Amino acid sequence: MIELINISKRFGSTTAVDSISLKVESGEFCCLVGTSGCGKSTTLRMINRLIEHSDGEIHIDQQPIRSFKEEALRRRIGYAIQSTGLFPHWTVARNIGLVPRLLKWPKSKVDARVEELMTLLGLSMDEFAGKYPDQLSGGQAQRVGVARALAADPDILLMDEPFGALDPITRESLQLELRDLQARLGKTIVFVTHDMDEALALADRLVVMHEGRIMQQGHPLSVLREPANDFVASLLGGEDRGLKEAALLPVSERMMPLGTGGVARERIDQGASLREALSVMLWRRVERLAVVDDDDIPIGELSFRRLVGARIHD
Amino acid sequence: MNGERGNTVLLTLMLVGLGAWWALPVVSVAPNRIVPGEARYAWEVAGPAMALLASLPMGLAALSARSADPGWRSLGLVLLALAGLPLWLGLSEHQLVDPELPQARLGIGSGIWCALFVLMLALLDLRTRQRLSTGVSWLLMLTPLALLAVCLPLGLERLALWQEYQGRADDFWLAIGEHLLLVSTTVGVSLVLGAGIALLMRRYPGVQRGAFAVLNFLQTIPSLALFGLLLGPLAWLANRYPWLDSLGISGIGWAPALLALVAYSLLPMVRNTFVALEGVSPGVIEAARGMGMSRLQIFFQVRLPLAVPVLLEGVRITTVQAIGLTAVAALIGAGGLGRFIFQGLGQAAMDLVLLGALPILVMAIFADAVLGNLSRRLGRGEAA
Repeated sequence: MIELINISKRFGSTTAVDSISLKVESGEFCCLVGTSGCGKSTTLRMINRLIEHSDGEIHIDQQPIRSFKEEALRRRIGYAIQSTGLFPHWTVARNIGLVPRLLKWPKSKVDARVEELMTLLGLSMDEFAGKYPDQLSGGQAQRVGVARALAADPDILLMDEPFGALDPITRESLQLELRDLQARLGKTIVFVTHDMDEALALADRLVVMHEGRIMQQGHPLSVLREPANDFVASLLGGEDRGLKEAALLPVSERMMPLGTGGVARERIDQGASLREALSVMLWRRVERLAVVDDDDIPIGELSFRRLVGARIHD
Repeated sequence: MNGERGNTVLLTLMLVGLGAWWALPVVSVAPNRIVPGEARYAWEVAGPAMALLASLPMGLAALSARSADPGWRSLGLVLLALAGLPLWLGLSEHQLVDPELPQARLGIGSGIWCALFVLMLALLDLRTRQRLSTGVSWLLMLTPLALLAVCLPLGLERLALWQEYQGRADDFWLAIGEHLLLVSTTVGVSLVLGAGIALLMRRYPGVQRGAFAVLNFLQTIPSLALFGLLLGPLAWLANRYPWLDSLGISGIGWAPALLALVAYSLLPMVRNTFVALEGVSPGVIEAARGMGMSRLQIFFQVRLPLAVPVLLEGVRITTVQAIGLTAVAALIGAGGLGRFIFQGLGQAAMDLVLLGALPILVMAIFADAVLGNLSRRLGRGEAA
């Protein structure tokens, strides 16, 4: 668990972060989102003391972070950044094994761990272990960056716009994998991004920052539905909020049991989002979709009226 | 198919080579050391037929350069032409030098120098095109030199350069030793000092401006003037403290030479070291800190290895510069190959000048190639 209590950071006379409080529970995926210069990166970097906070207290598992040695603290917190920060003169395997080596793990244990992580992130050991970072694609490099951050099996992972430089497709697949990874490993993740869609897709707890303050925090859906002020509303996309919300809700949420009027011709997977369902309706010009399970067997149906959430009294 | 129009570089070079062969004197003959040599053109050595035969490889190479894939054939012809040069000198000696005159000698003319130059360029060009490995291309470059070394005692005893060498063989190797010692000491001292200054500059930004100002200023003083400027103070010091004198430190000799050489070497060394260390991507350093590396670990495991290629570039520039400047240091009695250059100039014996200048040239090219290669290799991350 990470707890920030009335944290401020001043650089000279400017205040980058202004008395914020934030609690990230164990296993929670927390996204800090805001425009550039809002203090989200500074906040993140204060957690592993890359930047020292000016006021307030930061606790990790109830212990103030200043009670640890800087280096020892950082070695138990995973850290991944945008440019990946991989060491260009080291191979992929050596890069991933960095923190375990700093922690003086025996060599055999380091090697085993590197192999385990490469498998976990879908990097073939034979193909990539001996490669140098400049021989990797952006997506591969970022996988190595995440593997390195996970190397010493830290409870906490700090990520500073890790997917910022990637193309939309690679980015989306890495987001899905990260989400999946977090569900499996149960890490506590603090993730900084300026991309609201990314934040909404990943977060359990969304923290909207502006000019060094926290404007609003909470579950993405509750922030979407009840933005605290105009700034949060506009950051969430103004009129686009309806679509963003639909993207977070699965079809199964609004699905009705199969009616008697026969199965609709157009189908949608039950795990798809309402946004995708809406898109199919617009594209196919239909008002009714059959909802199918993983084996493509119809299990219900979704009408346009149900999709938009209107009450149905029949 | 690389290039429908063939190898235009090779074609141009070969045409220039042929032009030089026919339009410039290839050798000169002198009855003794003092009298200026008499220039001889290629056809005057052993008739036009022989001259034509000797220029045949270059001509064929020019022709083969026009075809689409001239690679290995051209390479062979260029090597043949290179190998022909020492043989041609041997032929000239046999034909032109009167064996009755013990002091008579054969000088290398501008035609041969030009041909050698363009053939070397052609070899470099072909090396790149054929993607030869560094080792092989070095071997190729050395073949003409090796052939010359074999020919010298066998049939080229009257070559003026060889005669100058034989007159002072011991002195020659001593001078090479002095030269190398002075250069390596200069590079060593300025590497240590330069690294120290660069580290100070990174630590205290105030030092940075001052140090660069001083070093830039030093660089603008002409080398001879700097040697002269050091003469007074060092002579005075040696007078005042006899133990300095007993170490060999005085107004002239190696001490002022080393001081001046180090002063010149510091700017490239400091600048490259500083830029190399500063140039490491901040993202990498940030990541290293974030992973929990200590300051020393970051410096020695990340910043320094990443800086080494640029740092070596500084060593390369400094070394090549020092090899050249050390020649001038001969003027204040520091020894080295510059001695022959200045003696030769004084005696109007151009071959003696060459005896000093050629090894300097070879050393500089060699140092440049080896250090440049090393830095490129490390830059590609081949060494961990």
